Amino acid sequence: MTAVLLETRGLCKNFGALEVAREVGIRLEAGARHALIGPNGAGKTTLVNLLTGLLRPSRGRVLLRGEDVTHLTQAGRVKRGIARTFQINQLFRGLTVLENVYIAVAERMGVASSMIRPAGRRRDVIDQALRLLETLKLADDAGRRVAELPYGRQRLVEIAIALGLEPRVLLLDEPAAGVPGAESHIILDAIAALPDEIGVLIIEHDMDLVFRFAQQITVMVSGEIFAEGTPTEIAANRDVRAVYLGSAAADG
Amino acid sequence: MTPPGFAAAQALAARHRFKWWEVLPWVAAIAAFFLFPTYLSFGTQVLITILFALSLDLVMGYAGIVTLGHAAFFGAGAYTVGILALHFGWNEPLSGLVAAAVVAGAIGFVSGVVLLRTQGLALLMVTLCTMALLEESANMGAAYTGGFDGMPGLEFAPIFGVFQFDPLFFRAQYLYALAVLLVCFVLVRALVYSPFGESLTGIRENVLRMHAVGAPVQRRLVVAYTISAALAGVAGAVFTQTTAFVNLSVLGLDRAAGVLIVLILGGYGRLYGAFVGAVAYMVLEHTLAKAYPTAWQLGIGIVLIVVALYARNGILGIAETLRGRLRMRRAS
Repeated sequence: MTAVLLETRGLCKNFGALEVAREVGIRLEAGARHALIGPNGAGKTTLVNLLTGLLRPSRGRVLLRGEDVTHLTQAGRVKRGIARTFQINQLFRGLTVLENVYIAVAERMGVASSMIRPAGRRRDVIDQALRLLETLKLADDAGRRVAELPYGRQRLVEIAIALGLEPRVLLLDEPAAGVPGAESHIILDAIAALPDEIGVLIIEHDMDLVFRFAQQITVMVSGEIFAEGTPTEIAANRDVRAVYLGSAAADG
Repeated sequence: MTPPGFAAAQALAARHRFKWWEVLPWVAAIAAFFLFPTYLSFGTQVLITILFALSLDLVMGYAGIVTLGHAAFFGAGAYTVGILALHFGWNEPLSGLVAAAVVAGAIGFVSGVVLLRTQGLALLMVTLCTMALLEESANMGAAYTGGFDGMPGLEFAPIFGVFQFDPLFFRAQYLYALAVLLVCFVLVRALVYSPFGESLTGIRENVLRMHAVGAPVQRRLVVAYTISAALAGVAGAVFTQTTAFVNLSVLGLDRAAGVLIVLILGGYGRLYGAFVGAVAYMVLEHTLAKAYPTAWQLGIGIVLIVVALYARNGILGIAETLRGRLRMRRAS
C-alpha cells in the first residue's frame, strides 16, 4: 500500500448560507496523478484554497502525512510541502523570470530574511532557480520580465515557482487555462515531466489533458464529491456523463 | 557558447555591485559644499530630506506600503533629541541619533504590528491617524515639548567633541548631515539588494503569491516598517540638531505629504529617486518662492500634475526611458 500524502476528512466551507464544500473527503497518495473535475462553481478552487490554508474550513480536517495541518498558516503548510499554482496567474510581473523563481527558492532555503549579504551572492539559490528553468525550458527567458512573456510561458513560470518550493504535494489549478492551443503542448510536456515522487492534484477542464495525465479522477458537483475512480471507470459512469462529460463533450 | 540563462544569472549576481555613476551624488554634494558656501543651510535641509525620502522609499517603493503618516517617525526622532537635550542634558549628537532611531523604531514597530494588517485606503487612514495622534501629543505635552511654540535655541555638543555646529555658516551641519546620509544610504542599499529586499519587492508585486511561497508576509512588513521608521527618526534628529530647534512642523501632514511628493517626483523604488526628487523639489520650491513669494505653490502644483500624468515613474523614470530608446536606436 502506498503512503497517503494529503487527506481531508469531512471538510465543509460555508460563506454565509452558501455551502461551497460539503463533507469533502479526498486522498492523495505519494506519486499520485489525481485529477479533480466538475462543472464551474463545483468548489474545486475552493478545495485547493482549503488545502493550502488560503481559506479556513468551517468544519473538518486537513491531514498532511498524518499530521493535522488544519490550523496552520499558508506559510506553515508550504514548509511542510504543499505548493500550488493559481487559476489566474499570480506572478511578480515587474521582475524577471529568474527573480520570480529566486524568490521561491530563497524562501524554501530559509535565506529570504537575510539582510546584508546581497541576493546576487547566493549562487546556490541562483543555480537552483536556473536549473529549474532549464528543466522547464524557460532558461532562454530567464532575464526577461514576466509581463513581457506570452501567456503560455507565464503559465510555466507559475509551475516553476511552485516547483522551486520542492513540494511533496503539488496542486495545479487549471494550468492550461487561457493558453492558446498552439502553446498548450508546452504545459502538457511540463506536467508530464514532473518528478515522479510528487503527488499531483490537477484541476482541469481539458478532458484530453485529464485522461492523458490522471490515474485517478474525482468529480465534484455543487461542493460535494460526486464520483471517484480510475479514468476508465469515470468515463463509463453514466451519472458523470450526464452531469459533466455530456455537456463538456457537447462543448468540444 | 554560453548556456541559456547565463546572462540573466550574471545580471542578478552583479546587480548589487557599485556602478561608476553612483559616486556622482556624493561628488556633487562635496562640490556644492565648496561652490555654494552661503547656501549650506539650504543644502543641509536637502540632505535631511533625501534621508527622509530614502526611508520612505524602503516601505513605499520597495515593500509597497502606501503611507501618509511617515512624518510621525521624523517627528518622533526630532522631538527625542530635542527633549533629551533640553530636559536631560543629553546633547551629544551621535548618541542622540541612536536614541532617536530607537524611539522612532519602537513607535514604528508597535504601530506597524497594528496597522499593517490593513491595506489600501484603510492603511492610508490609519497611518494618517497615527501621525495625528503624535502631533496632538506633542501639542498637548507642553511641559516637555514646548507645545505649539516648540523648543527653540537648543544646544548640542560638538561632534566627536571637536566639530562645533556653526550657527552662521552651517559648514559642520552640512558635512554632518552628509556623513549621516552616507552611512544610512549604504545600509538601505545593502538592504534592498539582499534577499530580504527581494522578498519585499515580491510582497509589493504580488502579496497573494508571497503567501503561497510560504513567506511570513506580515513579519517582513513589520521589520521593514520598523527599520524605515528608525531611519526617518534619524533624519528628524539631524533636523533638530542642525537647526537647533524643533516644533510641530516636524510631524504634520505638510511634511508627510512633502516627502511623498519628493519621492514620486524623483521616482520611487529606485534608491536614487530620493536624491533626485529632493534636489529637484527643493530647488524648485526655493526658486519659485523667491520669484513669486505669494504664488509659488501654484508652480509646484503644475509640475506635480504633469509628473503624475506623463511621468508616473518620476524623473528617474524619464531618464530610464530615454536611455532605453537610445540603446534601441544604437542597436538598430
